[in-house]
Amino acid sequence: MLPAFFAVFAASVFAQNPSAEFFEKEIRPVLADKCYGCHSSKLKSPMGGLVLDTKAGLKLGGNGGPILAADAKSSRLLKALSYNETDLRMPPAGKLPDEKIAAFEKWIAAGAPDPREDAPAGAPVSAAKKGMDIETGRKWWAFQPVNQLPQPKVRNAVFAKQWTKEKIDWFILAKLEQNKLKPSPAADRAMLIERASLDLTGLRPTYEDVQAFVADKAPDAYEKLIDRLLASPRYGERWGRYWLDVARYGEDNPTSEATNPPYPFAWRYRDWVIDAVNKDVPYDKFVKLQLAADQIPGTPRDDYRALGYLGAAPIYHTDLRLSRDVIETLYTDGWDERVDAVGRGLMGLTVGCARCHDHKFDPILSKDYYALAGVFASTVSAPRPLAEVDKETDQKFMLAAQQLFYLSYLANLMNNEPGSKPEQAAEQVIKFTKKMEEVRDSMAFLKDSHPEMWTYLNNLAKLPQPKKPMPDPAVAKVTLTAPAAPMPRPPAAQRRGRGGASDLPFMQSVFDAGVWIDGSDPDLTAVDVRPGQPRDMNLLPHANVSAPGPVVPRQFLSVLSKGDTTFKNGSGRLDLAERIFSDGAPLTARVIVNRVWSWHFGKPLVATPSDFGVQGEKPTHPELLDDLSARFIAHGWSLKWLHREIMLSATYRQTSHPRADGVAADPTNNFLWRMNPRRLDVEAYRDSLLEVSGTLDPKAAPLSLDLDAADNHSRTVYGRVSRGRLNTVLSLYDFPDPMMSAPARTMTTSPLQQLFAMNSGFMKDRATELVKLVDSDPDNTGKVRDMYHRALDRDPSPKELDLALSYLEKGSLTEYAQALLATNEVIFWP
Amino acid sequence: MIKRNFSRRELIASLTGGMGSVALAGMFADEALAAAAATTAPAAPKFPNFPPKAKSNIVLFMRGGPSQLDMFDPKPALLKYQGQRPSSVDLRTERTTGGLLPSPFEFKQYGRGGVHVSSLLPNIASVIDDICVIKSTYTFNPTHTPGCSLFHTGNIAATRPSMGSWISYGLGSVNKNLPGFVVLNPVPQGDLGLSRSGFLPAKHQGTHFDDSVVEPDKMIKYLQNKDLDREKQRRQLDLIQSLNQEHERSFGQDEFLDGRIQSMETAYAMQFEAMDVFDIRKESQATREMYGDTHFAHGCLMARRLVERGVRTVHVFYGPGQPWDDHSKIEKNLKERCPDMDKACAALIKDLKQRGLLDECLVTWGGEFGRTPVSESGDGRDHNPYGFTTWMAGGGVKGGMSYGETDEFGFKAVEKSVSVHDLHATMLNQLGIDHLKLTYRYAGRDFRLTDVYGEVVRDILA
Repeated sequence: MLPAFFAVFAASVFAQNPSAEFFEKEIRPVLADKCYGCHSSKLKSPMGGLVLDTKAGLKLGGNGGPILAADAKSSRLLKALSYNETDLRMPPAGKLPDEKIAAFEKWIAAGAPDPREDAPAGAPVSAAKKGMDIETGRKWWAFQPVNQLPQPKVRNAVFAKQWTKEKIDWFILAKLEQNKLKPSPAADRAMLIERASLDLTGLRPTYEDVQAFVADKAPDAYEKLIDRLLASPRYGERWGRYWLDVARYGEDNPTSEATNPPYPFAWRYRDWVIDAVNKDVPYDKFVKLQLAADQIPGTPRDDYRALGYLGAAPIYHTDLRLSRDVIETLYTDGWDERVDAVGRGLMGLTVGCARCHDHKFDPILSKDYYALAGVFASTVSAPRPLAEVDKETDQKFMLAAQQLFYLSYLANLMNNEPGSKPEQAAEQVIKFTKKMEEVRDSMAFLKDSHPEMWTYLNNLAKLPQPKKPMPDPAVAKVTLTAPAAPMPRPPAAQRRGRGGASDLPFMQSVFDAGVWIDGSDPDLTAVDVRPGQPRDMNLLPHANVSAPGPVVPRQFLSVLSKGDTTFKNGSGRLDLAERIFSDGAPLTARVIVNRVWSWHFGKPLVATPSDFGVQGEKPTHPELLDDLSARFIAHGWSLKWLHREIMLSATYRQTSHPRADGVAADPTNNFLWRMNPRRLDVEAYRDSLLEVSGTLDPKAAPLSLDLDAADNHSRTVYGRVSRGRLNTVLSLYDFPDPMMSAPARTMTTSPLQQLFAMNSGFMKDRATELVKLVDSDPDNTGKVRDMYHRALDRDPSPKELDLALSYLEKGSLTEYAQALLATNEVIFWP
Repeated sequence: MIKRNFSRRELIASLTGGMGSVALAGMFADEALAAAAATTAPAAPKFPNFPPKAKSNIVLFMRGGPSQLDMFDPKPALLKYQGQRPSSVDLRTERTTGGLLPSPFEFKQYGRGGVHVSSLLPNIASVIDDICVIKSTYTFNPTHTPGCSLFHTGNIAATRPSMGSWISYGLGSVNKNLPGFVVLNPVPQGDLGLSRSGFLPAKHQGTHFDDSVVEPDKMIKYLQNKDLDREKQRRQLDLIQSLNQEHERSFGQDEFLDGRIQSMETAYAMQFEAMDVFDIRKESQATREMYGDTHFAHGCLMARRLVERGVRTVHVFYGPGQPWDDHSKIEKNLKERCPDMDKACAALIKDLKQRGLLDECLVTWGGEFGRTPVSESGDGRDHNPYGFTTWMAGGGVKGGMSYGETDEFGFKAVEKSVSVHDLHATMLNQLGIDHLKLTYRYAGRDFRLTDVYGEVVRDILA
């Protein structure tokens, strides 16, 4: 009724051609009163990039496009004012009175005459901040080629000759000299072996190891130590875990509902990472396998486990009864997660910022974002058999698994929650069930050759339970209090349980297929998966799926691209991986070298390890970073080479004791006048406690284990990582949120941690076990000494022994042991 | 800061004594002590940026989506057009829905503002003069998970910080022995999604306690030492601290080592403070009876004890799971569920008021959405994000009023609509925070709880 009235009204006034007075009387006061607050050229960044206090700004519109249109009703401005859409309502404080809205409609329909004159000619129409353009961006420091540099000159050549051990040291020394600082003396042998062992294996050395190393007078004793530690399988467990922070490894999803259940095989990806790090798979290959193992010819089946990087990525629950726009938004959120993980994790760039608009600071266009998002819109998660099967069977299996999962979800949903159109729901149950059976039967050829695959698909094809007849809806509608048929418990709720890991012979993986969201059925949105057809995404201003912009071909970031980088190979995952290591190589190398540096020193050279853009920090030692990155590439992207290069340096071998002049001049140790002392991370802390109490199980643990279980004595890296309910001890000790690629861990010191140290069953058990180990010592002095050897790799001082013995006059050995394990020194990394 | 330094010095003196303390005192420069204090103290406050009305806030979260149409928003048209389906109710929700479903509950007007409350909530009706009922709340997603995320973080993604974390980040903690952001939910493990600190520092994450148990040592992991009494534990801690001193003496002064020494003392004190504050059995019989004896009642009572001792934010979840998700049998379910919710909410308001705390504590009640006027399965209601009721009490919000309106059937907010972002902006405002200024730089940009939205609802402020 209302719209019809408006249409007539608008048509009738159209001819009148409202004058400047109309604007001044009806429109301008409203704009000034309700809009300028957020949409003014005087603001540093007007909301939505929209400026309404200039004629040009009004005409231009904002980030969401023009706000005026010939057809007033379809104009963005009127849509916003009429408050009919939930995500586009202006002014935000409340809907305007109807007569004001009518005035706006009349004015727009008349061509929105605007008598204002914009004062300074050539002034920016939109004050929205623009990022760096691509040409300027190509000159950004982080994108420049990396080159090996000559050894820097130092003033005190005599000292330099004595002190330096590796090329790194010359860069550090030069910077220290510039800042009138001196390096610290080398750490003593005991501190060195303690530091290096915790660094490379996450475990303390034994007392015997320390004694042997202290006594070893060979000039290459330290080199041999580093080589021995690098060869230990414990090394991969330590350094693999660092990578898992970047890869936001988790075994489930934040909610783990019907369409985003836990990943029972995610642990195989974790184990692959540990293996690959132990084998020193070159970093370029390491990453390429995680993005595209299935597309690299000749890749051994075992390395397909690497695809868990994408296959076990966090996803959202998509209830397909929701509208196409809602489902598409949730899917684009998932693809955004991948763009972010790859952008920040691999390239140190906040590409995700360009989802709504061109990056406000960095030379990353919104079209760059969608060019990458398309790769992930063309990639579908599914389990993949561990067994070597031909490519065709592989593809068929994954597609069938994906289809069966959804069909089963839909059939059960319609069966259990038919809503208010039960007949229609019942038809759909039949349709989905039939389709499910078809898909399953098409895979029957697996029955004999691969019974495990056949069984797996059969288990996925969960047919809905037959139901009691539906009550007549016409009757149900009016008999409010009549008891309805009991709702069968939906399988969704059962699946919501946080299922454990599985050792069935499958892995979390992905395959190539474009994904579209189909809203043609108004009651049930469909996910349309098309193998062999990658999807180029539309640009989505404001990330708004209901207002798509032009199609963007999948390709690499403009600012890094040398020539045409359009992705041609299926989804483009391999093309992307290759570009990261060709066109993007200098940046990629800088980013990983900086991360490795930070994991060794507890402090990176670039303080923002996942942001090498304009908003990030500049390196403290740019030449060092360049030189080391160039040599890292020249040494075949070998992480073990990089570890040696860093750990053999005099810089790394410095003592970490504080020095008055250093603390005064450079309190945060930017210039590395000493080694950084640190708190242990949760893995090294828990593992060391298990080890010193003689209970650490050194075997790799398959699957994933509950870290709270008293009998779980495996290394922490094998503990369960949940994205919904992170284990208490992990979260107490700053384990990063596994929903997002973590740039670094922030190490906190909190009272709740100390409650764990003082009162937990875990600590008490460690103390009890430690006391058992020293049982054979004849007296308390011997027992205390033995405990010091095991827990701290050293003898107690006379004072410490004194404290122990006087405590033991009234307290028990177990209480004493727990006190010792709760001391600072146990969680300290010198 | 100076006081902290002294207590730190006193601590060192008390632990080492004699020669030790002289040697140690020489090693700790004042600046270094200040630095250590800064790293271990709760978040350094950057706000409030104007005088706050409220010092603390309590959120009573009715997960599942409580029905506004059966509690606060009477719609006679539902009875008139019962079973029919006018085109204006063709809004997409989670499931397919049927015709209009009238409320079986009787509404009356209460208090000086004549606010509508149904017969389900007699106790809330009795304190309505302290409550502002917002009938025109709306949000942006009709399913639980994104809806809950929106309510708690302002975004559908499960990665953003919770409002409690934002407040902790902005205002820090008053009581250093207690977390600044507490979540009470009667489940063994909290839901990380709704209390996560996201990109904010981890210390701002909500600390979850299971209010289905009343014994503090069962509620808080590692709180109690099962083997040592207070005195013996002090003796053990003295040993730990002496060893820590010895270690730091040989290593040299270090921020982390200092911080952990101090943190151990805090933890020790916290054990006893928490045993007290988390023990609702210490309340009088009369008070306990006023709240009732259900999980939610315990949560509300605990919330009052916590804000009384300086906890900034307390979120109380009604029941495990999503109890208010009445897709069917809504009449029966609400009759079962409302009495304890009603009693505890009203008791909380009365109790805060009689202690003079209501003025400085903002209480917000709501779910992730409301429910549809159209029926589901004949006797239930589907999710409705388009228009539903939340309410606020205390903390400088006007009482005895209702604000905003939904359409004639109670489906969509049509007058003075209040989005979740507006709700957040208003909450922050009462705590003395300009929501536009509470930002955190992460992954290259400045994030806000209210993203690019949010408008303080000034009309409801006293």
